[in-house]
Amino acid sequence: MAVDSGHNSAAGVETPAGGSNPLASDPELLNDFILESREHLTTIELQLLTLDQDPGNAEAIHAVFRGFHTIKGMAGFLDLDAVRDVSHEVETILDLARNSQLAITPAVIDGILESKDYLGRWMGALESMLAGGQAPEGLDNQALVAAIRGLAQPADGTGLTPAEECAPPSPGPTETVAPPEAPATSGLLELAREVAAPPPEAAEAAPSVSAEALETPKAAEPSQLTARSIKVDTGKLDYLVDMVGEMVIAQSLVRHDPDLASSMKPRLARNLSQLARITDEVQRTAMSMRMIPIGQLFQKTARLVRDLSRKASKQVDLELAGEDTELDRNIVEELADPLMHMVRNAVDHGIETPEERAQAGKAPTARVLLKAGHQAGHIVIQISDDGRGLDQEKILRKAREKGLIEPDAQLSEGEIFNLIFHPGFSTADKITDVSGRGVGMDVVRKHVQKLRGRIEVQSTPGQGTTIVMKLPLTLAIIDGLVVAVGSQRYIVPLFAVREMLKPAEDAISTIRGQQEMAMVRGTLLPLIRLHRRFQIQPRFEKPWESLLIVSESGGRQFCLMVDELIGKQEVVIKSLGESMQNIPGVAGGAILGDGLVGLILDLEGIFGAGGSGHPGSGL
Amino acid sequence: METILATAPVNAPQKTDQRAGKYLTFQLGNEEFAFQVLRVREIMGVQEITAVPQTPGYVKGVINLRGKVIPVVDLRLKFGLPEQEYTQRTCIIVVEIHSDAHKHLIGVIVDAVSEVITLQAGEIENTPDFGNGVATPYLLGMAKIKGKVKILLDIDIVLSAQDVQGLGGF
Repeated sequence: MAVDSGHNSAAGVETPAGGSNPLASDPELLNDFILESREHLTTIELQLLTLDQDPGNAEAIHAVFRGFHTIKGMAGFLDLDAVRDVSHEVETILDLARNSQLAITPAVIDGILESKDYLGRWMGALESMLAGGQAPEGLDNQALVAAIRGLAQPADGTGLTPAEECAPPSPGPTETVAPPEAPATSGLLELAREVAAPPPEAAEAAPSVSAEALETPKAAEPSQLTARSIKVDTGKLDYLVDMVGEMVIAQSLVRHDPDLASSMKPRLARNLSQLARITDEVQRTAMSMRMIPIGQLFQKTARLVRDLSRKASKQVDLELAGEDTELDRNIVEELADPLMHMVRNAVDHGIETPEERAQAGKAPTARVLLKAGHQAGHIVIQISDDGRGLDQEKILRKAREKGLIEPDAQLSEGEIFNLIFHPGFSTADKITDVSGRGVGMDVVRKHVQKLRGRIEVQSTPGQGTTIVMKLPLTLAIIDGLVVAVGSQRYIVPLFAVREMLKPAEDAISTIRGQQEMAMVRGTLLPLIRLHRRFQIQPRFEKPWESLLIVSESGGRQFCLMVDELIGKQEVVIKSLGESMQNIPGVAGGAILGDGLVGLILDLEGIFGAGGSGHPGSGL
Repeated sequence: METILATAPVNAPQKTDQRAGKYLTFQLGNEEFAFQVLRVREIMGVQEITAVPQTPGYVKGVINLRGKVIPVVDLRLKFGLPEQEYTQRTCIIVVEIHSDAHKHLIGVIVDAVSEVITLQAGEIENTPDFGNGVATPYLLGMAKIKGKVKILLDIDIVLSAQDVQGLGGF
């Protein structure tokens, strides 16, 4: 490959590395390599999935080729022979493919995906080596290299053209990267970039990328992103957002300072409101820096769907919508697991085999739709399939067997569907290696609740299941009601609050002399006195003198009794620190307007700890 | 947070010679105790503390330390001494606790802060055997200065995370 030195203009940052090959052990360099390779691997996977749909997509082949080529080059002078060899073999295959000497079959894609996974494992091993010092080993590439070489042989006649002459089994490197001479002289990173510079055809290909972008925006996203973005340590970003949150509070402290208010002159007032506007803007910008499109997460599920459906011989089309919806990076990370579980469930349980579908008069290819969008200050993520739907009878039977509900309990549709979120609940008749152990949905709900979100299931027998997750835009700030109990102030997360009321005296009843209930709009709801839970002295002992907050937690409603409402406030959530992480009923702390700390309530914990006869309430 | 903590040079005081160094001494009842100065972040007067439910009695609650929420422990109660009204001299010493790979801050309420002393290795004695199987892992050692014994505390053990969280629950 032509080492194009026109691309090193951006590189002169790193100090030149001296010596024969200290490169391989330079942690900074390795780290760069890992970061960059991971990026390439992500692109590779994405493009491979495109190829899976459209084997003739030349641009996708080029993109995959470029990725492997760059990794090969960098691995070459980092002395990572195993990585280099695998990349090299894949590159050979891809070279054949782009010269139309090899057809891209699912088998070829499997092989390349496997190589991509192998390289991914290497990155993980290198990373742990950097962290712990253990040199990576035990990542044998022999079998993989052989398997990939095997792919190059036109085995079953699917190859388009006589490939023998053009594809010798172990060809010399199509392009030799030139590692040996350079390291001593030029900066290593420069070298890396030179080698990593896109091969000439990339330049020609660029226009077609943007043309393609019109049809499939997601495919072009990575290249657009790299063009105008920089990498920042996420820790710094989190710290910035934290500090900006503090600044907003400090600003409001100054603004509402009683001493200042008494001597407020027009100029001061003007300047203060100017300051308020600016801090607001800074906060918004800081928050937006942590936002990433959810599309990256959706792409990961594309791979999962492909693997699963091939394994289960089902035909599944994954449709994505709203991939450019942005949300907090931390939420995206937390979402990865539940999303995987749900997609897995949909493909494994929800969707029938093509035969079953044909019998039911449906198209043989099933549809799984992943959709994201904004709704009233929240992110809504929806997963629907057009499979067999949830079997209410089966769920009820299972729940009775497991003793989750009374044998003669009458449940609404929503309550029945909620049963699937119970730990250990699975209606699958047999356990596959994919799912059916009944851990999935339980984990999903835990995650979603941790993100302060809500999850709902809708299902129609024979027509499919839809799961809707509603999540906050960010984890850093929460909208809360500040309430008082005795001398203490607490923050009730607004997302869990249905309504607030002062009950009439006759709306309160007691069951069996212990559990208090409140009649709210015709429904009896359990009444929980916050002061009893937290053992503090309240100002009002009688429920009809205090305020009831009708809250929802884990699909059930209850009334939380507090003395009074102080106000509504946006607060920055703070951890109470390592030593106070698992206090039942307390989700965290926040600095209130007067600079003191207020505790944010964890309603799940408060309700669950009551022992009021409701099973599985999260503790 | 990263930046604050990263600037603090950390030398774990395990061996006898490593115990030498500067100590901040403070009073608790009739005794003089000491923390390593390197672990002390700041000293402040007692301020309003937000109580946290379901924590052991010696955990007084949490305070706002310039935007960070940190727990506060009353060392008197922690050591089983009788509770006392806070006075003008009562202080919160904010110390940095190391547990595993993490560092976090905890406020410690003491009767009064005395002074900073420099201890040579020779001035530090090992904790005497109290017999009777009394475990004293939280003591780094003892030092006798001007006829008075100062008890050197290992804050990582005295204020370990499990301890602060206590048994919690109901």
